[in-house]
Amino acid sequence: MDLTPRPTPESPKRKRRFVPAVIAGLAVVAGVVIIGFFLTSSIDYYCNVDEIGVRDGCDDTRRVRVQGTVDEGSLESRGSITTFVMSFNGASLPVDYEGEPGGIFQECIPVVAHGRIVDGVLVATRIEVKHSNEYEAENAERITEAEKSACS
Amino acid sequence: MVSRSTGTTTTRVIGIAAIAVLAWVVVSAFFITPADFQQGESVRIMYAHVPAAWIAYLAFITTGITSGISLARRHRTLGFDRVAGASAEVGVLFMGLALITGSLWGRLTWGTFWQWDPRLTTTLFLFVTYVGYLAVRNIDGDPHRRAKRSAILALLAVLEIPLVHFSVVLWRSLHQEASVLNPDGDVRLDDMMLFTLFSGVVGFTLVFVWMVIHRQRLATLRDLQQGVGLDAAIAARRNEGAAIAGGGQ
Repeated sequence: MDLTPRPTPESPKRKRRFVPAVIAGLAVVAGVVIIGFFLTSSIDYYCNVDEIGVRDGCDDTRRVRVQGTVDEGSLESRGSITTFVMSFNGASLPVDYEGEPGGIFQECIPVVAHGRIVDGVLVATRIEVKHSNEYEAENAERITEAEKSACS
Repeated sequence: MVSRSTGTTTTRVIGIAAIAVLAWVVVSAFFITPADFQQGESVRIMYAHVPAAWIAYLAFITTGITSGISLARRHRTLGFDRVAGASAEVGVLFMGLALITGSLWGRLTWGTFWQWDPRLTTTLFLFVTYVGYLAVRNIDGDPHRRAKRSAILALLAVLEIPLVHFSVVLWRSLHQEASVLNPDGDVRLDDMMLFTLFSGVVGFTLVFVWMVIHRQRLATLRDLQQGVGLDAAIAARRNEGAAIAGGGQ
């Protein structure tokens, strides 16, 4: 018995095949783009301050992402420029940033600064805050304790 | 006689329990748990973000397990395949929620909605993989062949989950390391925050179970409807054949 569907002017079945196939194709393209972005931006998201000019991919001649903790007492605003010093493992790096960093930026907090190093200063175009994985209730005692431990 | 409803007493009980638990989570998240010493009020996003991500993992692992069973069974029925599909659909929903809430949380704490860092990138890749899986599931064809190709894809896709979860340990990431499911086994959360987070996981799990039951029953009804359509087509052809034979006499 021939069970082939009778031809209709507009077959909904064709449309049903086409749309998921297009979505599957787009998913593959999106996957390739995501991997591309990931690999071109390097797998390790940042270099630590003490690795600048030492570790592969952390050359001070190219655009870098640098992680360090904002030194206590180093944060200043000069007009529209925010300046601070970030440190990691005993190495320090002065940072200039046009504007005010967002998020929970403050002294004694780890940050990732994106930019280029010019005359020993990181001229940052983006600042991101890298907060810890500890969650504690907000109270004055805990804040002081946290600041002490972060800056020590 | 097949029921036209996908609801049963069990799903109603699960649904009511989910509403009750999630109502508690909302009250606790906004009015009972404290603000975080560092992140302030923005920490409250965690009660939706973390459970959503965990339940997405659970959903994708469920898809992987049921796909494996579906492939391994000698006499293949489509039951496990339907559960695999339903679970992946709900997983994509929860993973989407985790990405959106994570993005909002990132803006408030890190100062950016998005960065191509290892955790965020692998999570987005996982999300896209399962969108692709659902698209492949919806390509028409023989249901058993569809089940087989979907199961193979699901078994490959589930391997991404350890990569996503441990991305913050394997590589340097902007995303903080896990506070609960971390390699040290330490829990770095205030007690009330942890209890509310745990309640969120229970609530989202109930929603997940409720949705998967409904979705897989809906898939069963759809398959039955297609079977009825096939029966009707056979009957129509038989009638046509009988009419032609009758006219020829």
